[in-house]
Amino acid sequence: MKLIKMVLAAGCLWAGTALADPPKDYPFVDFDTGLKAAKASGKPIFVYFGRYGCAWCDHTNKKTFSDAGLKKLYSENYALVYVDAESGKRLTLPSGERITEAELGVRLQAFATPLFVYMTPQGDKIMQVPGFKTVQDFQDYDRYVRGGHFKQKTLLEFLGGKS
Amino acid sequence: MRAAALLLAVLAWPAHAAWTWSEPVTVNSVQGAAIFPHLESANRQGVAVSGGAVGVVWEDNRSGIPQCYLAMKPATAANFQPEIQLSKGECHEPVVIALGAGRFVAAWEETGKVYARVMPDGKTLQLSKTAAVQVTLALRGNALYAAWAEQAGRFRRIVVAQLALSGNTLHLQTAQPIEAAMPTDEQGWPALAVAGDGSMTVVWEDRRHHHTVPMVSHSRDGRSFAPPARLTDIKSGSAPGGLGAGTGAMRPTLTAWGEQGFAAVWLDKRDFLSGYDVYAAFDTGTRRFGKNIRVQDSFGDNMAQWHALVVGDAIGRLVALWDDARDGTPDVWLSEWEGEAFSDDLAVPAAAGLGGQSDPVATLDATGSLHVVWLDRDEAAGTRIRYARAGRK
Repeated sequence: MKLIKMVLAAGCLWAGTALADPPKDYPFVDFDTGLKAAKASGKPIFVYFGRYGCAWCDHTNKKTFSDAGLKKLYSENYALVYVDAESGKRLTLPSGERITEAELGVRLQAFATPLFVYMTPQGDKIMQVPGFKTVQDFQDYDRYVRGGHFKQKTLLEFLGGKS
Repeated sequence: MRAAALLLAVLAWPAHAAWTWSEPVTVNSVQGAAIFPHLESANRQGVAVSGGAVGVVWEDNRSGIPQCYLAMKPATAANFQPEIQLSKGECHEPVVIALGAGRFVAAWEETGKVYARVMPDGKTLQLSKTAAVQVTLALRGNALYAAWAEQAGRFRRIVVAQLALSGNTLHLQTAQPIEAAMPTDEQGWPALAVAGDGSMTVVWEDRRHHHTVPMVSHSRDGRSFAPPARLTDIKSGSAPGGLGAGTGAMRPTLTAWGEQGFAAVWLDKRDFLSGYDVYAAFDTGTRRFGKNIRVQDSFGDNMAQWHALVVGDAIGRLVALWDDARDGTPDVWLSEWEGEAFSDDLAVPAAAGLGGQSDPVATLDATGSLHVVWLDRDEAAGTRIRYARAGRK
């Protein structure tokens, strides 16, 4: 962990175009649009809580979300929502409360980005997972969420103790 | 450097001086499970003290859409009077400053533009001609300024305005961007302060370096501005492999401090594994901010801090406040500058303990009393806006 921290902290070369935004070619939309779409389609919601300029978000985009199979799986089966961790843009929670995208991080008790949040089509949180994840991780989470296993088991139980 | 260090020491407030807190009172007269008050604003200017009267502004949705309100507590009153609605259309992020003699200036964003008004009896002045958000105010002597984030092409940029006051009427004298060039990325959340020499400083969030960086500019006259500089002392840059563009930081706040100085406090994610921390920097009169200093103590290290702000005064008192959940639920914390470092963190007594207490706003009055307002969340009964005053023992 210390090594990871040192490696990231050591980075000081200007990257120019290296940004952290939603992964390319995925149909990510803003929070309000995604919640409406999820209610209409009955699809669960996948919230990508990222930060502008975030290295781990960039890493996840390049290493994981670049996978064509994952792109198809998530694009077809989820309402994909991107939230900017430091933005003042406003969104409406299922309760009706209007908050900023940054304030959503407070409510999620976000420690780090990226943070991935799975929600029911009605906007109730199923689970949230922080940090870099692999294609296999997202495939496992998809089976857990869309298979409805979250109703009976914790994620850890579902994965058989594999974190 | 030595002179700056000496000045910081001189400006130290007595270490560990204890506070005596008043009984908290509730500010908002209407609460409910589906009513959501917010104290968010640029520079977190939600409370001001004017001639002993306390003014508090916030936004809530009691009318069906977010509207902005001001509640006042006269100097001799124990409780706040029923609130006055500031806006007609959807309103966000109101701020308030004291004019003296029980008068205030409030400013807010309404239906995508920003406005200001002398309270309680003035007329509303539209500040921005085009789309704008996140307005803030600063006053010292007769120098009254506003700043906001205004749409300029694809992005917003920071505009600073000089306001004049005649009676209860506000006039817009000048309004101009800090930089003449169009913004190359988003700017927002300005915070303003005016020093004893009349010079003005503005800090804001800026994304020109492809991540959010608190930036600063100074002006002697409110019309010409120094080229923006970084408030943070860490450089932008990607991690190995060309990943990302830099660490996160957001919501800078600013106060005039001492006769010539400024102090800034913001949320900073340079230690990216523990959420945002509270960081500060000082300009002792050189018009350059120095080394960044972590505000919260070690007990808050592994906890995300939120909603940070700083309040100071001409005597040199300086207090930073924020909320974090180190004790299990969100509480409001404060730390005072002690000359070389910030003090151990103190929980605001009425804003700590069971339940969620968060989103502090605060001000120091002319007597050195600290006035703090926060949200006390109760999902069933609704969120209360609470107020308490602290004096020195």
